Amino acid sequence: MELQEIQKILLGKFPDDILSFDESSDILTLTVRKSRILDLIQYLKDDLGYLFLTDLCGIHYPDQELQLGVVYHLHNLLKNTRIRVKTFTSVEAPEIDSLTGIFSAANWMERETYDFFGVIFSNHPNLIRILNVEYLDYYPLRKEYPLEDQTRTDKDDRFFGR
Amino acid sequence: MEHLGKEHILIRPEDYDKNFSTLNLGPTHPATHGIFQNILTMNGETIVDAEQTIGYIHRAFEKLAERRAFYQITTLTDRMNYCSSPINNIGWQMTVEKLLGVETSKRIDYMRIIIMELARISDHLICNSVIGVDSGAMTGFIYLFQEREKIYEIYEEICGARLTTNLGRIGGFERDLSPLAIKKIREFIAHLPKVIRQFEKLLLRNRIFMDRTINVGGISAERALNYGFTGPCLRAAGVDYDVRVMNHYSSYNDFDLTIPVGTNGDTYDRFCVRQEEIWQSIKLVKNALENLPEGSYHMDVPEFYLPPKEEVYSKMESLIWHFKIVMGEVDVPVGEVYHSVEGGNGELGFYLVSDGGRTPFRLHFRRPCFIYYQAFPEMIKGSFLSDAILTMSSMNVIAGELDA
Amino acid sequence: MTQYTKVDPPEGYSAPGFFATTLDRVVGLARKNSIWPLPFATSCCGIEFMATMGANYDLARFGSERLSFSPRQADLLMVMGTIAKKMGPIVHQVYEQMAEPRWVLAVGACASSGGIFDTYSVLQGIDKVVPVDVYVPGCPPRPEQIIDGFMKIQELVGNESLRRRYSPEYRALLEKYGIR
Repeated sequence: MELQEIQKILLGKFPDDILSFDESSDILTLTVRKSRILDLIQYLKDDLGYLFLTDLCGIHYPDQELQLGVVYHLHNLLKNTRIRVKTFTSVEAPEIDSLTGIFSAANWMERETYDFFGVIFSNHPNLIRILNVEYLDYYPLRKEYPLEDQTRTDKDDRFFGR
Repeated sequence: MEHLGKEHILIRPEDYDKNFSTLNLGPTHPATHGIFQNILTMNGETIVDAEQTIGYIHRAFEKLAERRAFYQITTLTDRMNYCSSPINNIGWQMTVEKLLGVETSKRIDYMRIIIMELARISDHLICNSVIGVDSGAMTGFIYLFQEREKIYEIYEEICGARLTTNLGRIGGFERDLSPLAIKKIREFIAHLPKVIRQFEKLLLRNRIFMDRTINVGGISAERALNYGFTGPCLRAAGVDYDVRVMNHYSSYNDFDLTIPVGTNGDTYDRFCVRQEEIWQSIKLVKNALENLPEGSYHMDVPEFYLPPKEEVYSKMESLIWHFKIVMGEVDVPVGEVYHSVEGGNGELGFYLVSDGGRTPFRLHFRRPCFIYYQAFPEMIKGSFLSDAILTMSSMNVIAGELDA
Repeated sequence: MTQYTKVDPPEGYSAPGFFATTLDRVVGLARKNSIWPLPFATSCCGIEFMATMGANYDLARFGSERLSFSPRQADLLMVMGTIAKKMGPIVHQVYEQMAEPRWVLAVGACASSGGIFDTYSVLQGIDKVVPVDVYVPGCPPRPEQIIDGFMKIQELVGNESLRRRYSPEYRALLEKYGIR
């Protein structure tokens, strides 16, 4: 099966750094140590044919030790297979290498992840907030922050069930 | 000069000539359809560089989705690409069905195909008529908007709303296609080709239009793939990637679908690809309508599909299910899933991480025009301001989808 | 034969050879049938506005044939769609650039009160930054509702006193919003 082959090849090339493999969800998912993410993605693009970066997003698990994660979805257009790569980092040192050298599409997607979660991508050409206002001083999509604007006066939380 | 990841910066600071001027194509502008800002550095009339600012309509959909139950998120997805909201709705419902492992029947699939293709026609009608308006041809816009009114009437008959449809349910639809809806769709499909041909006579081989759009805002296939392009913009550059064919969903593989592909990736190619897709969609709707199989219009998903009101008031178990669904005490499987559909602009993806709770743990929307709008400075370098406007409108940048 | 409806003349005293009324009413009549709107279309309500401008629900028959995209030449600011906090100062700036007399129509739930987006990044109604005259609820409002809102603006315009913009209450209102 194609997935088993890819799993074998990747485990052979990156023996210590792939932390887990998962096939229970719809596509092959692997978690990798953040120091090797650039090499892994480069290898996937050059040797295994995953030429298309479909998606890049962040995620915050407050209960884990490495709380902030970045999830990459890649797509091999010729063989029509997808792969999901995850990497995690801690809140205190949230640096991950940027993929803008490999995929230009990662530029704004990484800015969005920085804007929402505070993951700092090293070697990113222009890592500033993209969707929120510049003077926002926290990272809104982390779980500890509320959805609503706490300074609003016209909506009474009691009536909204909050 | 190209070093790692800096392709988007087109001039080095030391090359900056004192004669360059800065023009603010500000957030509010008649020709940008939506609010996003471009600060252009211009050498006379030619554009040298562009710096983009978006986020003027950031409504925090992803944070909002963490507080809404699964069936409430359909209303959020409406408002992303609001020109073709049924595609977003049905895409979301298919994502949840993928998480739950629900297979939909053929009738539901064909109904979904009909509605999604009508939405695609509606989106392409806006985009093409607006390319016409931006190059000065207002007439096509007025003609095609009448057709959109007919599509709105069809939506009203199916779900009650015109624009933000909130259509369908997890597991199918809330009601069957009524005979009036089928009659309206048939009449619409019979009448539309004449109007599209009229529109094409106005613009497609029009000397002025062709001069304004050929070789304007072009991008090569390699750069387009690197930038994550999908949809008509990628197909205009020459790559035949269509999610309906590649990862077929909702029984699209029962129909034969030709993917129109351009050569240069310029504005004229994008216009022509969208025109051809309108013809393909008309064919799909006609075939799906003629071959619509019999069956139920919803699958049996008791945890998510509200039971009919007559049963809620008469049967005990329907009452209990209704209570459980609305109060959020259903068991949602834990897991993560990524599903994508072919939206009006390209691959619209939904990455859903569920932790078993009433609301998603994390929901991320892969929005096509957010990803391909990054390439805009590269596409307009060296062209005139009017070309930049046409390139922007041919990319069909919809602010709701850009900022989410 | 086509049926034409004429606009009724304002109240006044008429006799052979002359018609006497107040200046307010004449000016109001002229203004209300020739409003030049500025469509500040942000999101989904903007598409419903495009449908309103189209041939089916024609807004041009109310006198607003010419849409002005420059605030200097516009009478009515129609804010259609969600206004985020990033966009708030820009709405304020556009309102400041409009010349008196000016009116504001908030179309849609998002412009009236934030709509379904009760989030950290959305302004909960544009009346936090500009004074609003008429609110049109709906998500999105049907074209008939937008036209209804527009007709209420016409009523306001037609019945406005000529001295209103110089009155202390109006000045206090603008002071409250920080508009010079």
